[in-house]
Amino acid sequence: MATDTPSEAGFGEVSRVRGIVFEYLSLGASVAGLLALGILLVYVAVDAFDLANASPEWLLTYFLTLVVPYLGFCLYSVGDPTVTRRAVAALGGGLVAVAGLFVGIETFVSPIPRLNWPVAYLFVVVIPLTAYLTYVGNQGRVGAVGLGLIGRAVGGAAVGLAVGTLFLVFDQFVWFLAYTFGVFPAVALYVYARRSPSSRAATAAPVVGVVGILLAVFARETISTYPSDLLIFLWTIAIPVAVVGERLVTARGGRTAGLLAGGVPLALAVAGGFLAGTVGLPGPDILVVVALVGTAVAVYLQRVIEDGEGLAGLALPVLLVAGPLVGALVVGAWGVPAPDPWLDVGFLTEAPSRNAVEAGLYPAIVGSVIIIAIVAVLSFALGVGTAVFLEEYTAETGLVGTLTRILQINIANLAAIPSVVYGLLGLGLFANLLGLGFGTALTVSLTLSLLILPITIVSAQEAIRSVPDEFRRGSDAMGATRWQTTKNVVLPEAMPGILTGTILALGRAIGETAPLIMVGAATTVFSAPNSLFSKFSAMPMQIYAWADFPQPEFRYGVVAAGVMTLLVVLIGMNGTAILLRNRAERGS
Amino acid sequence: MTDSTESPDLTRRNGFTRIKEGTYGGLFAVCAIVTLLTTVAIFATLLYDAVVFFSEVPVVEFLTSTEWSPNPAGGGQTFGIVPLLIGTVTVTVMAAFIALPIGTLTAIYLSEYATPNARSILKPLLEILAGIPTVVYGYFALVYVTPALKATLFPEMSTFNALSASLMIGIMTIPMVSSISEDAMSAVPDSLRQAGYGLGATKFEVSTGIVVPASISGIASSYILAVSRAVGETMIVVVAMGAQARMPAVREAVFGIPYVNPADVLLDSGMTITVAMVQIAGGDLVGGTLPYDSMFALGLALFVVTLVMNVLSDIIAERYREEY
Repeated sequence: MATDTPSEAGFGEVSRVRGIVFEYLSLGASVAGLLALGILLVYVAVDAFDLANASPEWLLTYFLTLVVPYLGFCLYSVGDPTVTRRAVAALGGGLVAVAGLFVGIETFVSPIPRLNWPVAYLFVVVIPLTAYLTYVGNQGRVGAVGLGLIGRAVGGAAVGLAVGTLFLVFDQFVWFLAYTFGVFPAVALYVYARRSPSSRAATAAPVVGVVGILLAVFARETISTYPSDLLIFLWTIAIPVAVVGERLVTARGGRTAGLLAGGVPLALAVAGGFLAGTVGLPGPDILVVVALVGTAVAVYLQRVIEDGEGLAGLALPVLLVAGPLVGALVVGAWGVPAPDPWLDVGFLTEAPSRNAVEAGLYPAIVGSVIIIAIVAVLSFALGVGTAVFLEEYTAETGLVGTLTRILQINIANLAAIPSVVYGLLGLGLFANLLGLGFGTALTVSLTLSLLILPITIVSAQEAIRSVPDEFRRGSDAMGATRWQTTKNVVLPEAMPGILTGTILALGRAIGETAPLIMVGAATTVFSAPNSLFSKFSAMPMQIYAWADFPQPEFRYGVVAAGVMTLLVVLIGMNGTAILLRNRAERGS
Repeated sequence: MTDSTESPDLTRRNGFTRIKEGTYGGLFAVCAIVTLLTTVAIFATLLYDAVVFFSEVPVVEFLTSTEWSPNPAGGGQTFGIVPLLIGTVTVTVMAAFIALPIGTLTAIYLSEYATPNARSILKPLLEILAGIPTVVYGYFALVYVTPALKATLFPEMSTFNALSASLMIGIMTIPMVSSISEDAMSAVPDSLRQAGYGLGATKFEVSTGIVVPASISGIASSYILAVSRAVGETMIVVVAMGAQARMPAVREAVFGIPYVNPADVLLDSGMTITVAMVQIAGGDLVGGTLPYDSMFALGLALFVVTLVMNVLSDIIAERYREEY
C-alpha cells in the first residue's frame, strides 16, 4: 500500500507501469475465453459450410450480391456519415490488413490449417462489422422496420414448423376433438363473459374446457371417421390464428384493415395447403406455416403502414431474397466452383446414416422439438407456481415461514446438483419405478423439467420481486383478493422477465446430453418418433454419437453441421430472450 | 409480500370466493412442494440402489480398491473408486487453474475498470460461454484442441486426454467465477474506494488491496461453486477424455523418492466418476445387476460431494460476509 511509509518526506512519484500492466492483463483475461471460443466457432463454421474449399471468386460474388447491399441498407438506416465512413474504412482497411497479416504468417511462421485469407477476412472483419451495423441500424426507424419484419417472418416460420412437427407425435384427432369440444367453447364463453357483465360465464369457462377435453379423450375411442388433416389444421390452428390477427388489427386500425389482415393470410394458407397437397408436398404443414407467418407479418405490416414511418425498411426481405438468387445466377453463369456445405437442406430433412454424405439430423430435430414443447409447459407451470407461492403467498413466521425458508435453501441446492445425477433420478424413478420406459420422450421430458426447474423458479422469483409493491397495495386497496392481485397485477407486470428466464432455461434443456444417456435415450434413431412412448433421440445425443465416428468426413463434416444447427437454435432462443428483456426494460 | 394480512379486511367475501382463493393458494403450495419432493426423490433413488450395491461390495473395498472394471470380459468385477477419483481430481484441478485466475481477473476488470459500454457488451458475451452445450465443448476439445496441442506443444499426447478436456471445462466455468465474484465486488461500497484514493492509493492498489479483500467471501464461494460444477461435468470428459480407468505410474526420482509425473496423467486418457456412470448407462441397461447399482453408488458419491461444497459455499458467503 502506498500509505505504509509515512516517514518519507514529499510525495515522490508513483509508478504507473504496474497499474497499466494489471489493467491490460485483466482485460486480456476477460476476452481470453471469448477469443478461444470465437476461434473454435470459426473452425466449426468453416467445416460445416465447407468454406475451406470456397474459391475467392465465389466469396466475392456473394460478398457483392448479399453482404454489400445488406450493409448499405443498415448504413442508410443509420443515416450518419461518420458511421458510414468508419464502416467503409473498416471494410477496406480490414481487407488489406487481414490479407497482409495472413500472407505474412503463412510465409514466415507456418501455414494456418484449413483457412485462407478471404475466409479469415470474412470472419475477422465482415461478420463482426455486419453484426455491429445490424445492431446500430436497428436503432434507426428504417432498420427497425426491416429487421422487425424479418424477425416476425422467421419467428412465425419457426413456431409453425414446430407446431407441424408436434403432430407427428401427438394424435391430431384427439387435438381436433379437444379443440372442438373443450378449447373452442371455453374461449367462446370467456369472450362472451368479457363482453357482457355476467361473471358466471367467466367462472364456467374453465369447467367447460376441462369437461370438453375429458369428453374428447373418451370420444376418441368411439368415433372412427374424421375430416382430412388439412381441414383439421384449418379449423383448429389456421382459423383461430387468423381470428386473433383480425382482433389485434381491428382494435387499432378498424374493421376493413382487420378483415384484410385476418383474411388474406388465411386465404393464402388454404390455397398453399391445397396446392402443396396436389403436388405431393405435406399440405397441412404448409398450411400451418403460411398461416402463422402470414398473420404475424400482416399484423406487423398494418402497424408499420399505420405509423407511416420507415416504410423503406419493408424492402429488406426483398433485398435478402434477391441477393442469393443473383449470386447463384452469377456463379452458375460464370462457372465458379462452389463449396459443398455439409449443413444443407438434406442434412435437416434426412435420417442418420453410416454414409457421411447421406447422414441427416431430422429424427433428432423432431425429438428435440418434442422435448422442448413438453418441458416448456411443465417447467413454466411448476416454476411460476412455485415462484408465486414463495413471493406472494409466503409469510415471515409460522409454518409457512419455515416452509418457505426450507424451500429456498432446497432450490439453491437443487441448482448445484450435476445433471448426471438428475439422469439417475429419471432412470430410477420415471423409467423403472413408474414404468414410463427407458429413453422415452415422456421420461426424458420429465427429467429435464426437474433439471431446469430451479433456474426457472429463481428467474421467475426475480421478475415477480421486481414488481413495485405500490402496485400490489393499489390493487389491495381496490378490494382485490390475493389471487386477483396476483393474476391481474403481478403476473402481467412480471411476464417478460418470467418468459426471458424460461427461454434461457429451455436453452439449457435443449443442450443437455448426460441425463439423456442416463435414462437410456437412443443415440441414433432412423425414423422420427411417433408417440410419447417411442424410442427417440435429440440433437445433442446425435452429435455425441457421431463424435465417436473416427472417419474425417464425420469428425470434420457431419458433426460440425450438427453442432452448427444446435448453436443456431440456441442463439436464436437466447436472442429472443434478450430482446424480450430489452423491450421490457425500455417499456418500464 | 403483500401487507394484506396486517391490514383490516374490508372485502366482503362469500363462500365461493373463499374456496376459490384457497384452491389457488393450495395449487401454488403444491407446485412448491414438488421441488422439495425432487430432492427427497433424488436422495431416495440414489440411496435405495446404493444400499443394494454396498450389501454386495463392502464400502471399504469401494473406497480403497485401485481398479475399476464393472464389465470385464473374463468375469471378476472390481469396483474401486480410487482411479475415478484421480481422474476427477486431475480434471478439476486443471480446470480450476484456468477458470479461477481468469475468472477473478475478469471480475476485477468488469467491476473496476470497464466502462459501462464495455460491460454491457462483455457480460452477455460471457453468459454465452456458459450457455454452450457441454457436448459441443467436448467435440471442440476432441476435434480441434487436441490436434492443435499435439501439433505444437505435446507430440506424445494421446487422442483422448485429460488436458484438453480440462481446458474446455476451465473455459466453461469462467463465467461462473466471474459473475458471482463481480456481484460481490460491485457490492463493495464506493466510500471504501474513495477512502483508498484519499489516502493516495492508485487504482491498482484500490482494486487489489481494498475491493478484493472486502469481497473475499463472495469470491471464495464462487470458487467453490465453479469447482463443484467441474466435478459434476460429464459430456466434455466423456467425449474428450476417453474411458480408461487407470492408476498413474509411480516413478522413482533421485534417492528413490516416489513421484507421479503430471504428464502421465494429463496427456493420457483417464476416467472420471461421471464417465464411469455414462459408460455403464450407455451399455445395456438392465435393472438389478451389480454395474447398474454401482452407478447409483457413484451418483451418491457425486451428490454428497457437490452438496457439501454447495453448503460450504453458502456458509462461507454468509459467515465471512462483510456487512456494510
